[in-house]
Amino acid sequence: MSTRSIAIAIIVALMVALHFTLRPILDWRAGIDFLTIAVLVVAVRVRPGVAALVGFAVGVVADALAPEAFGAGALAMTVVGFAASRLKAAFFSDNVMLNAVFVFVGKVAYDLIFLVAERRLGGGALAVQLLLWTPLAALLTALVGLLVMSVVRPTLERRRP
Amino acid sequence: MPRGARTDSRADTVIAVACVLAALTLLVLPEAPRDRTAGVIRGTVVAPLVTMQQRASLARRAFNANDSLVRIADSVVRRSQQLDEVNAENARLRALLRLGESVRWAFVPAEALVGRGMGDEHTMLLSVGARAGVQRFSAVVAADGLVGMVQQVDPNSSVAIIWPNPEFRVSATSADGTAFGIVTAHQGPGIEGYLLEMRGVSFRSTLKVGSTIVSSGLGGVYPRGIPVGTVIEELKGTAGWERSYLLRPAVRPPDVTSVLILAPGNGTGMDSVWRAPLDSVRPR
Repeated sequence: MSTRSIAIAIIVALMVALHFTLRPILDWRAGIDFLTIAVLVVAVRVRPGVAALVGFAVGVVADALAPEAFGAGALAMTVVGFAASRLKAAFFSDNVMLNAVFVFVGKVAYDLIFLVAERRLGGGALAVQLLLWTPLAALLTALVGLLVMSVVRPTLERRRP
Repeated sequence: MPRGARTDSRADTVIAVACVLAALTLLVLPEAPRDRTAGVIRGTVVAPLVTMQQRASLARRAFNANDSLVRIADSVVRRSQQLDEVNAENARLRALLRLGESVRWAFVPAEALVGRGMGDEHTMLLSVGARAGVQRFSAVVAADGLVGMVQQVDPNSSVAIIWPNPEFRVSATSADGTAFGIVTAHQGPGIEGYLLEMRGVSFRSTLKVGSTIVSSGLGGVYPRGIPVGTVIEELKGTAGWERSYLLRPAVRPPDVTSVLILAPGNGTGMDSVWRAPLDSVRPR
């Protein structure tokens, strides 16, 4: 395993840890989704297939804690990871600001797929979630994502051969 | 595109499709294997994360308590206002302690862990599991009344469905025992979605606004006498020889931090538990 892979693994582990420590401490209605950031940090640096696998694994972990919609998180994270990796390869360069927009769109896409797949919310409640809470959570997630990428990008770029 | 790149791209697509299919399979799994799978993951890979989450929840409570203490120390003049929060927490804990003393059933105290937001509005992760004696279909109660029922049990944690869950059902009765019905989550728009509904009340039984509704003890899961809610109004448009009532829940799940998990039934009711002792510990 290369040094760069180890660095990415450490960042992902840190994000997962923050998701299960800082997020419950903050306890915001529109919470920061560190798992989405973790998947996207990986997705923009690996092949789409690997990104899909990582997304699936992270989604299953999240699903296990709220098993009512078991599989919905895995589905959403798989799609987000794969799409992020594909789009990154096809269109975008390593631009940190663009990555923040990327995180915003990724979080919105995750919530959209998750909510549709779990089929729990409908009508007004679904609209409120998607039009109010999801954009707020995505905005916060994107800001934190920007911060994370600003910190990790120089490290990862330096390690790149 | 070079052949190698094309092959790689195809492999990526195949992996992604396999992951999507696996996720869809998990989504449509029947309840039993789904719960088993989730339980295995919770008991292995996710177990350290659950522990971290539990400690984070405790830390959050410690931070909140610390804030209260600092505020009280800072200003004696405004003490009465600032002590409200502490008093409320104190009253809740005292109520839970008194409840524990009053309950004649075997019970296990547990912490309710804050979840990830989406998907956990219908379930509650509890900090104890089979090793502490928790069993499936055990009633979960808080100081104010009924919270839900344990649905899955892992060695060190368990998952309860709480009353907003569409599958939640409890046989209920008015406090005087004159009207019986089934209480479920009210599937109404907006804020009404956070209320309960009591269905199947016989037409001749009329409930007054403000009447307390408690579990009836029928069905064997919930002992008799646990507060479920209070009547807000009769629901119009009910056909046939029955009435339905809208209830204000006795417990607000976001406020629940500590619960008691009652051991499955020994036949005794709990009528006296909430009636006398808890009245005496209400904040003055």
